[in-house]
Amino acid sequence: MNQSLLFLIPLLPLVCAVLIMLFGMRLPRLVTETLAVSGVVAAFLLTILFWGYADGEGTRASLGTWLAAVGVEIPFALYFDALAATMTLMVTGVATLIHLYAVGYMHEEADYARFFGLLNLFVFAMLAIVLADNLLVLFLGWEGVGLCSYGLIGFWYQKAENANAGTKAFLVTRVGDVFLAAALLWLFALTGTLTISTINAQASTISPEVVIALTLLLLLGACGKSAQLPLMTWLADAMAGPTPVSALIHAATMVTAGVYLLCRLFPLISLSSVGMLAITAVGALTALYAATCALAQREIKRVLAYSTMSQVGFMFMAVGAGSVAGAMFHLITHAFFKALLFMAAGCVIHLAGNENDLFRMGGLAKRGPRDVFWAFLAGAVCLAGLPLTGGFFSKDGILLALFSHADPVYQLFWGIGALTALLTAVYTFRLVYLVFAGEPREHSHSHELPGLMRWPLWPLALLGLGGGLINLPPLFGGHEWLSHRLGALAGREIVAAHGTEWLLAGLATVLAALGWLVARWRYGRFAPPRDNRVSRFLLRGWGADAAVDLLVVRPFTAMARFCFIGCDRALVDATLDGLARQTTACGERLRAVTTGRVSTYLAAFVWGFLIILGGFLLALVR
Amino acid sequence: MIVPFAHILLFAAALFVMGLGCVLARRNLIMILIGVEIMLNAAAVALVGGSAYWRQVDGQVFVVFLMAMTSAEVAISLAMVVYLRRRKGTLVADDFDGMRG
Amino acid sequence: MVASAVFYLLAAATLTATLLCVTRNNPVHAVIYLVHAFFDLALIFYLLGAPLVAAWEMIIYAGAIMVLVLFIIMMLELAPGGKTLTVDRQRWLPVVLLSLVTLGCTVVLIILDPAAAASGAAYHATPRDFGTALFDRYALAVQVVSFQLLFAAVGAYYVGKDESRERRGESP
Repeated sequence: MNQSLLFLIPLLPLVCAVLIMLFGMRLPRLVTETLAVSGVVAAFLLTILFWGYADGEGTRASLGTWLAAVGVEIPFALYFDALAATMTLMVTGVATLIHLYAVGYMHEEADYARFFGLLNLFVFAMLAIVLADNLLVLFLGWEGVGLCSYGLIGFWYQKAENANAGTKAFLVTRVGDVFLAAALLWLFALTGTLTISTINAQASTISPEVVIALTLLLLLGACGKSAQLPLMTWLADAMAGPTPVSALIHAATMVTAGVYLLCRLFPLISLSSVGMLAITAVGALTALYAATCALAQREIKRVLAYSTMSQVGFMFMAVGAGSVAGAMFHLITHAFFKALLFMAAGCVIHLAGNENDLFRMGGLAKRGPRDVFWAFLAGAVCLAGLPLTGGFFSKDGILLALFSHADPVYQLFWGIGALTALLTAVYTFRLVYLVFAGEPREHSHSHELPGLMRWPLWPLALLGLGGGLINLPPLFGGHEWLSHRLGALAGREIVAAHGTEWLLAGLATVLAALGWLVARWRYGRFAPPRDNRVSRFLLRGWGADAAVDLLVVRPFTAMARFCFIGCDRALVDATLDGLARQTTACGERLRAVTTGRVSTYLAAFVWGFLIILGGFLLALVR
Repeated sequence: MIVPFAHILLFAAALFVMGLGCVLARRNLIMILIGVEIMLNAAAVALVGGSAYWRQVDGQVFVVFLMAMTSAEVAISLAMVVYLRRRKGTLVADDFDGMRG
Repeated sequence: MVASAVFYLLAAATLTATLLCVTRNNPVHAVIYLVHAFFDLALIFYLLGAPLVAAWEMIIYAGAIMVLVLFIIMMLELAPGGKTLTVDRQRWLPVVLLSLVTLGCTVVLIILDPAAAASGAAYHATPRDFGTALFDRYALAVQVVSFQLLFAAVGAYYVGKDESRERRGESP
């Protein structure tokens, strides 16, 4: 089969998006929804069909030139290798399930064409990132996901806070994009090309200081999209969007785009140990920060948002420790169980009567349908990392990579990771207990749950629980399928003694169990929410929003005000207005001459006559 | 000539200036008209002086025309004064400022 | 010599009279002083050898035009009427002095008749010469001026017409 058919994978969702945006409201609702789902399903099936193309060196396909000038020629090209194939499969698969869920979730929404159009467009943009052969196509997808994220977060824009959340997300990720663009241009200046594989091949020719700088720039770009420190303030507020959006964008795909970028450019960034250390540090600090914040959140989706931030921090730590396979493994399992958790949370919110506050829910295990409870629980145990779930293996793999790193500093990061794992278990089970245990706290009538919102949960639950099989370490009898599939791209080979591995696995189990017990002890009975200074501090995300406001927003608005009022109004407008006023004043003064009185005109007459006479006399004298 | 021509011209000039001053400085329409009369007479003096200096009668003939024109002008001016007085009730020149911009 | 002395005297009188004319508040007083100035001017014209012009100055200017002005002033009641008939010295002294000067000069001129004394040396236009020149060389101008007088008469009538009286049906 022709390799250009690979282009159908990203283009089919794009075509569906365009059709939906143009004609969606005119077609019957069912047709639009089918179009939306079928776009993504087709991409998924095609990925499976073309799976063989990713073997070995992978396949390249080009669809014509995008930019052509002297010295530069950039095509629309995609590169289908093992890394891309794995990611594409995950993206399209999860997207399919979420689209089905969204059909059920948004069944009462009147503006469905805009929603599904944006959702499909988002899938296209994400696939552009994943399948990009050169950094410019990747950047196109990068910006595209940002745009769709903005549009989908602020989907119910009629409420100002939703629109503001979308704007905030867009602006903060934009800051990261600036750094990414700088890195892009620098790479182009250094290597004369933007093709990823060429850059990776030529990476060793770049001087070490430049590599460190490039790594830091790329890290900051990734931080924007993946909501890591310091560009993380947008993710919690992004929960204002519909739940399918949160599930797709802020759990499975967009926030992992940063990780994917780093994995893609791993040969480049792995050359500088300083850069790797920076990546790990960012990941570790974000993981800890987010886990502490999640402990104090009152809204169910905000807990999950901070949890996502924390888990993406784990992925960053994996990349920093040199294990691309570990990062991708955690990325995939996290996609499964986090999407599952978000979707189940959507069901929970629906059942509790559109109630978001944790402390107003309760007893949904008894009240609601049982499958929602079991699905949520499945996702929760994966997140907490209880043994033999997918989350357990992937998280354990990351901790092992950190522990077994040559640099002793990484032991510190391992410690942070372990602490975060404990906190993860705590807040996860806190969530479970508050939502499902006990008696219902508020007696509101529950809503009927559409079937489409329930049954996509099951495949994800199975994938999450069984996800460990993707990269089962030999310790447990597996063959590490993912690492072998990724081959050379898998990063550092992780060597550790069996004893160490068992120790770490056991420690992880102990931490997860400890976290569960703590949560049960604290939240199993109906504890009221704590309202002390610590919890308020954590609730506000360590005051990050206030800090950004103080450091960035206020100086900026002050500068803008100065430029507008101080410069524009005071200087430019004042000059022009002053000029106009002076002209008018002169005119007014001149106007005083036309008194309408004969005497004035006679006097003027005589003056003129005198002047002429004077002229004659002067001529006479000369 | 009984006096130098220059003296006659000086005299005429002095009369003219006084007439001009009357026109410019006074606000009453009648006084403005009288100032015009004085200026016209000053011109007549200059003309007659010239006629005497150059020993030709044309200057005097011109003075006659001057007088005829003055009569006509005064007739219409006074008719207008009457009309304006009827319209506005005042003869102060400053009050007629309809052309005021 | 006498003639030049008289000329200077008359010139001074004219200028004084004109000065007083332009500085009066009362239009009637101004007109009277102007009439006096015209008398002096007429004598000057006679001195300069234009007796016909002098006569016309008296008749037309002082006699017709100024009287017309006076007439209008009185018709429009522009001058404040005197409540009493007392005239104070400040009022009549300049007039009397000026009049005396004019009178003196007139007498001197009649007695001495400088025209006859300085015949030949000074220019003197007889009425015959004047009339010949006027109707010989300036006949067209005479016609034009007469048209002008006609226009003036018509115009003065029209401008001065009282619309309200005509509307009421009375004769204008």
